[in-house]
Amino acid sequence: MNEQEQKELVELLKQTVAPVDRELHHDLWPKMRRRLDEPWDSRSWRAVFSATKLSSVPWFDWALLAALLLGICAFPSSIPIWLYNF
Amino acid sequence: MNTHPYLRAYMAGIAAPTMFLLVALSGFLIARYTFQIPVPIERVIIFPMALVPNLFGVWNIFYLWLRPRPHLPIGFHGAILPFVLAPAGFLLATCSGFLVATSRGLVWFHQIAIPYALLLLVFCLALIAYYLVWKYLVGFFNEVMGIA
Repeated sequence: MNEQEQKELVELLKQTVAPVDRELHHDLWPKMRRRLDEPWDSRSWRAVFSATKLSSVPWFDWALLAALLLGICAFPSSIPIWLYNF
Repeated sequence: MNTHPYLRAYMAGIAAPTMFLLVALSGFLIARYTFQIPVPIERVIIFPMALVPNLFGVWNIFYLWLRPRPHLPIGFHGAILPFVLAPAGFLLATCSGFLVATSRGLVWFHQIAIPYALLLLVFCLALIAYYLVWKYLVGFFNEVMGIA
């Protein structure tokens, strides 16, 4: 392969392979600032325990949870079943 | 682009029982070494370690598969799982020799007797537990994995 052919090959490769954009198109700091300024209870996993989220749980789910805890406390001999079957 | 939704559903499904496995293992260890209950840990742990998380994962995949079709809400979908898990657990426990069915009830580890009436009550409580776990925990993990 002579020099001319090598140049042609390089040109062909440049045309075929899309250029990799290694530069960021925007500053990440504003996004980071927004994230830091977010209220505590609106952050992803913490949002699960936020007051708004907990208040949206229907009353019958609270009742079911209470019945479940009461049942486990009232019948401690059932604990092996819970440990085994969960 | 294939985003592997079924793989994510499996991962979201196994998260809750895998976390609870540590609680279960601790409970069995305390029973064995603190209260001297003859719990054969190496046999007991097979079901909660191998079968339960995998069934949760597969059940969540099934839920995701059902989504475009007529389906139950996730809580009720999860509450069906004890109907599969309870017989499987009973079968494995009796075969492993640490659960014996008598005329009055079940006897765990040759020490803890549970009458059938209580067993029925516990099963109803298990339905509640699974309903709540699937509605809130697995539902949350599905949200995190972007498949809710």
